Amino acid sequence: MADDSVGGNNRTNAFVISARKRAIQKVSKTMGEGMLLAVASFVAIVVLFIFYFVARDAVPFFQLRGFSEFFTSSNWYPADQPGQFGALAIIYGSLMVTLGSAMIAVPMGVAAAICLSDILPFSIRQYAKPVIEMLAAIPSVAFGFFALVVLAPLLQNNGGPMLMWAWWILVSPFLVLGVLVVSDLLTNSIKDPQRRRQLYAFLLTVLGLIAVFLLYKVGTLLYGIQILTGTNALNVSIILSFMALPTIVSVSEDALQAVGRDIREGSYALGATRAETIIKTILPAASSGILAAVILGIMRALGETMVVWMASGNSSHSPEPWFNYLEAIRTLTATIAGDMGEADQVTGSARYHVLFAMGLLLLVISFISNLVSERIVVRQRKILSGQ
Amino acid sequence: MNIGTRKILDRSFTALGIGSIVVMAIALLIVLVPIITNGIGAVFFTGTVEHRKMLINEFKRGDTDKLAEEIASSDRYRSTVYKMLTGFEAELDRMPPEKKAEYKEKYSQVKPALQALLGPLPGDPEPMLTRFKYGQTRWEKAEEKLHDFLYESKWDNSNPNVMSKEYFVSRALGFEGTTLAQLFPYVKENIDHMLLPEFTVYWGFITDSSVDSHFFGGIWPEIQGTFFLAVGAMLFAFPLGVIAAVYFTEYAKPGFFNSMLRSANSTLAGVPSIVFGMFGLAFFINTLKVSESKSVIAGALTLAIMILPTIIRAAEEAILAVPKTYREASLSLGSTKWNTIATVILPAALPGILTGGVISLGRAAGETAPIIFTAAVSVGSAIGLADVFSSPTPALSWNIYNLASEHEAASQIRHVQYGMVLALVSIVLLLNLSAIVLRARISKKLKG
Repeated sequence: MADDSVGGNNRTNAFVISARKRAIQKVSKTMGEGMLLAVASFVAIVVLFIFYFVARDAVPFFQLRGFSEFFTSSNWYPADQPGQFGALAIIYGSLMVTLGSAMIAVPMGVAAAICLSDILPFSIRQYAKPVIEMLAAIPSVAFGFFALVVLAPLLQNNGGPMLMWAWWILVSPFLVLGVLVVSDLLTNSIKDPQRRRQLYAFLLTVLGLIAVFLLYKVGTLLYGIQILTGTNALNVSIILSFMALPTIVSVSEDALQAVGRDIREGSYALGATRAETIIKTILPAASSGILAAVILGIMRALGETMVVWMASGNSSHSPEPWFNYLEAIRTLTATIAGDMGEADQVTGSARYHVLFAMGLLLLVISFISNLVSERIVVRQRKILSGQ
Repeated sequence: MNIGTRKILDRSFTALGIGSIVVMAIALLIVLVPIITNGIGAVFFTGTVEHRKMLINEFKRGDTDKLAEEIASSDRYRSTVYKMLTGFEAELDRMPPEKKAEYKEKYSQVKPALQALLGPLPGDPEPMLTRFKYGQTRWEKAEEKLHDFLYESKWDNSNPNVMSKEYFVSRALGFEGTTLAQLFPYVKENIDHMLLPEFTVYWGFITDSSVDSHFFGGIWPEIQGTFFLAVGAMLFAFPLGVIAAVYFTEYAKPGFFNSMLRSANSTLAGVPSIVFGMFGLAFFINTLKVSESKSVIAGALTLAIMILPTIIRAAEEAILAVPKTYREASLSLGSTKWNTIATVILPAALPGILTGGVISLGRAAGETAPIIFTAAVSVGSAIGLADVFSSPTPALSWNIYNLASEHEAASQIRHVQYGMVLALVSIVLLLNLSAIVLRARISKKLKG
């Protein structure tokens, strides 16, 4: 009760303004706001600190060894005396899994985002969203465990047949569509309907046979592949793509939603089908937002540690040939995680600092791509709202 | 293009979109199903008499009288095995030297296989490690070991062009003509009398600490460590995040400084998790020296920085979602801005803020990379609340990695690994699920 009366007093007194009270109010207001500001700028201070402390331990490495070895040599023997610190193969490994996961995640993610924003009715969307959220919530170490214990033995023992089935299931629908579209386009210019239908049927059979032959030939080729180790770049790319998907889907869905209804309706009114509307009108309008989504998703894959540490094989050699996704690789994040334990014993050595150099590289890449994606989103919002 | 092709393209485009969502759902299932089915096996399984022996010896739990009975009945069958072994050893001594050498070599593999199945044989010295003191505690492992005992595995390298293949040779054939030949069919037939399999529910997997680096026992130290780290991170990050969100939504004026703060926030959200770990090591441990070496407090601080942007964003969204009328009503009644925020806006936004907090808690619990250098150890017992400032802790996420990749017998303790993964995944997913439910209720409430 005492509290109540005090509160009541304050409220009535707020209207009786004395100079002293006003001064106190003003001071406390500025102080309060200053405190809020201090807390809010804490984030910026933390970012500065992260840059400073990672760079502080990274710079000695470059002072000691220069830049050229780190970026151009693939000899990674940090434990030798003297150690060799060529990180090219490791950087390449990072790029490889990032690119591999992007190749899977970007088409799938964009398709799913389109589906969520434009195709599915609301009642189904309600159930699709939690699926994506759950995929985002599963801890990376659980994905890594799955990759190591379930997927890697599967790939190692049945890699060839699995690749063959994947090729058939993924590619055959697109080939069928391609055959239909190409024969349609090629016969488009012929005016006579009789001849046109004949040519269309002819083209369909010829192209169809070629497609079936291609499916069969590549399928048998893939069937014959023997995967020597299940912990390889392919395994990691698949898992990472599913980790990057939620980011890509949710950010590009936002971008698609930001494209207004009027644009869609205009396109429908001109007689376009839904697919044509999406591809020719909505996607170009949302392209920058989708680009931002792709950048964010890729960063998730590049910065991921546990999956690559557990399931990439951690071999610090470039694969032979360079596009061979079936070989073990090693990434920047996994190297930091794996070598820090031993390097930490000799804090101050080049072996310790080279890991911070890698961290700095990751930090700079993520910083730049974040800024770029942010700018892109801001610009898109400006353009869309300006219309 | 003619209208038919256009229609087909339209349909297949729809199919592509739906297909990719279906693929995501299937991927989620493919990841979760083995984790759930195998993870449940850590608690519910067919345990042998060795498991019950272990429980009484290591945890003083179980029915001693019943166990004594069971041991007696299993020893009746085991004694025949031991007799056969001593009989064969005597026979071995009488053999001509070249034959003796041949059989001795084979016999040297039989004994360890039997020890792995049944535990130490009579007359063996007391093993140093707890894992060798007992036979197989789980029936499905016992069946594997029985196979190892009955068959010798060999590798077929005859074709140099393909990978060598494993094949099995019966050990009984190798001892044809000796007294030991009967041992193999005898063990095969009487294995369930010797191990007495019985359906077991071992809740101790959640509440016990581990024995002999997770060969036996449970995962309580890891669960507790995860709890300490995640809650500790929340204690730091949640108040800071909410205050920062209040500033951003209520006080910040658009301008260069403000946009820089926002950029900083999204930069922080995008920093790779391993870099947080490095920063934690370089700043909290090596520079600030919050603790001698790894400690819970250093790990919690590192995790707090990591989840801060998520909390800020969620809190901002929740505050912005509060209807404008609330604010206006409060201000028109003469309350100050601060009063409005504290008594009207924050309570109204609280469920949304909590949703963000719960999701961040899950993220802090599941993240591994930031705690590798700052807080996690692979072995150790549960730590007390007073030790959080000085000692590191085992944690679910780190120990999953450690047991699966670095443990010396990783393939022997798959059930423990699966159990840990299930524990972690269910903690994180339950937190997320409650957030989803919470959010659904809020949106219903806001709709009225």
